[in-house]
Amino acid sequence: MTVELPSDTVSIGREIKLARRRRRLTFARRLFSHPSFLVGFVILVLFTMTALLADVLAPYEPTKINYRFILAPPSAEFWCGTDAYGRDVLSRIIYGTRVSLRIGVFVVVMTGILGTLLGTLASYVKWLDGLIMRSLDGLMAFPGVLLAIALAAALGPSEINAIIALTVTFTPRTARIVRASVIVVQGMQFIESAHAVGAGHGRIIFRYILANALSPLIVQLTFVFAVSIVAEAILSFLGVGPPPPAPSLGNIIAEGRSNIQEAWWIAVFPGLVIAVAVLGLNLMGDGLRDILDPRHSGARDKT
Amino acid sequence: MAQVKGGELIFVQGSNPPSLDGMSTSSQASRNINMNIYETLYGFSEDIKPIPILAEGVEISDDGLTYVFTLRQGVMFHNGDEMNSADVKASLERYRIVGATKNLLAPVKDIEITGDYEVTFHMEEATPTFLEAFSSPRAPAVIIPEEDGDAEAGKNSFVGTGPYKFVEYVPDSHVTIERFEDYSADTRSDGIDGFGGHKTAWLDKVTFRIIPEPGAQVAALEAGEVHILEQIPMPAARRLEDDPDIKLYENLRWAFTTFIFNLNVPPSDNVKFREAVQVALNMEAIMAISSEGLYTLNHRWQYEDTAYDPGQIGAEYYNQADAERAKALLDEAGYNGEEFVILTDPNIPQHGRAAVVIAEQLNAIGINAVINQVDWPTALNIRMQDEGWNGWTLQMGIEPYLGPVGLIATLASPARPHFVVPDAGLDALYQELIKGATVEERLETFKKIQAHLYEIFAIIKVGDSGLMHAARSNVKGFIPFRFPRVYDVWLEG
Repeated sequence: MTVELPSDTVSIGREIKLARRRRRLTFARRLFSHPSFLVGFVILVLFTMTALLADVLAPYEPTKINYRFILAPPSAEFWCGTDAYGRDVLSRIIYGTRVSLRIGVFVVVMTGILGTLLGTLASYVKWLDGLIMRSLDGLMAFPGVLLAIALAAALGPSEINAIIALTVTFTPRTARIVRASVIVVQGMQFIESAHAVGAGHGRIIFRYILANALSPLIVQLTFVFAVSIVAEAILSFLGVGPPPPAPSLGNIIAEGRSNIQEAWWIAVFPGLVIAVAVLGLNLMGDGLRDILDPRHSGARDKT
Repeated sequence: MAQVKGGELIFVQGSNPPSLDGMSTSSQASRNINMNIYETLYGFSEDIKPIPILAEGVEISDDGLTYVFTLRQGVMFHNGDEMNSADVKASLERYRIVGATKNLLAPVKDIEITGDYEVTFHMEEATPTFLEAFSSPRAPAVIIPEEDGDAEAGKNSFVGTGPYKFVEYVPDSHVTIERFEDYSADTRSDGIDGFGGHKTAWLDKVTFRIIPEPGAQVAALEAGEVHILEQIPMPAARRLEDDPDIKLYENLRWAFTTFIFNLNVPPSDNVKFREAVQVALNMEAIMAISSEGLYTLNHRWQYEDTAYDPGQIGAEYYNQADAERAKALLDEAGYNGEEFVILTDPNIPQHGRAAVVIAEQLNAIGINAVINQVDWPTALNIRMQDEGWNGWTLQMGIEPYLGPVGLIATLASPARPHFVVPDAGLDALYQELIKGATVEERLETFKKIQAHLYEIFAIIKVGDSGLMHAARSNVKGFIPFRFPRVYDVWLEG
């Protein structure tokens, strides 16, 4: 995506801005005409709405115990049945999506900030490159979810610790992607020009480099979001996520597992929700990649 | 009953034995295995009376100051040596140092070898309950070879006199024991009797397999890969009730479900606050959920209709679910929303489930209850600290079985009481209890203890909880007890 630079340096900024706005419009149009992005987007919106409207949607309190309705099968009264405490599984799932969403969003934000910071520093400040990237390589040597489990287990079971564990796990990959695209953008002519007209480091980094290195980051972050939801479920399932009685998709499944043969509904319904949510996020990520990656979008335009 | 010799039996339990050193641990996971490997001088019979096992008998002097134990002759250790009085003295001296309940030997001034097969205990003072305490299987005073007398806790050679001998221990996988061919059976009785009696090892080999996940345990049993489950979840038990391949064994008086306060930190340092919790709780809901339906409501600190049944004392505080009274007591206590941390673990499922129900009931009356769920070893570690927790859910298995002395010993000095801060009143009553000369005297003392426990509210009795074992139907001779007696059990077909 090279931009034709006018010789009049004063108008560089305005030209870039205009070009960017034009691109953004066609970008949105192309996104929503992309079928897998659209499906994924709808699923994500539904998931988010469920989480936000949990108070309205859930038929019962998620932690309301009723020992007279232990392990009740799905019925008109309890659509997804009840668990070993007589709690309504549907209400727990609905509130559980809230935990997943909250953890997903926090991890994406934290990973985005840290990854961008480290990736940009590594590529922009040459002497930091080796130090930062080798440290991150060290972290990446551990399989992702295993590292998260180890950290969460060491820190103790809580929502904040789960967020920290997942952020530490996903930041290295994000930083690496940011670094790679920053290096590409850095070598482009318009950056040289910006240096030539005397733009400061801050302006160059934020206005020119990062703005143009954003696309891969967005794809990476949707991926982080999807993986966070699954990873949170894994952590909760293993008992190192948010502690009971707070419902989370993972700990609902964990609680259902010892009665899986007698009360399949406890584990199956939250499992389906996780599967659909992750499918949606992956579809969205695929769509984004198709459109943002010039080679992919080029191929698509031809068809 | 035609017993069949041979075969391998696989017994499943949920957690690793912390140690296979019989005397240095009071863990049930260890006892399951150890009581098939080791034996004691005295132990409990089926009806919980001290009976001689490795001892021939005991002569107690009239003043209660000397106990002369004679030993059975010709009892072989797994290493091929014969047991004699030197082994007994070395074992008990080691017990004084590494025994998990070494206090039980506190009344013994010294142990003297008075013959090849005779040891004499000289007592500090007369202690009528000594023989009962000495027979306790909680952390049994097992007899091991003299050579192991100096071994640190957990570092002995796992050699005992029992009908099975140790083969190997692979943590997180299994412990294997095999028949001890030179076992010296106690021919004084016809069959097994509690921890003693005439034991016969029919099986060649027994494997104790560690499978933490209850669902996986049930699947393994149904598939016939394993023979006995220490505990089957009740929903699975109900499903398999009519399965001809599976037999269920109810162990109704397995444990007391209890809720213990930390008296050292606010808000649980306030007796009015604790009383509020006591009257707020709906024991029926807690028991129905934590035991999955296998429970008896019981306010007593003994099982009903046993020798030390204290009757209705304290019943007026039990299973009240009285939110109004609880809130009034909270006001009186000056409670203002401080965090009330409930320590629990998921490894013993009743612990975690009870904690969730208790937390919900306390939140309902305005207590800011939060759950700190950690794994069982961590929970044991945290509760030994003076701060950092307010309440703790505990299944007391072996202690209620031992009777009042064994139970109250965990709540009174010289032990560190479960509720952290010793209670002078209870300590005095405990001394009175262990010095009571007769059952009647001790029962009177125990009634005072029962009343006192419902005055200090340092520990809450939630209910009596049962344990359901399950076995393949070709397992014969299995009788539910305080540990799986894999002797006198055989496999048919």
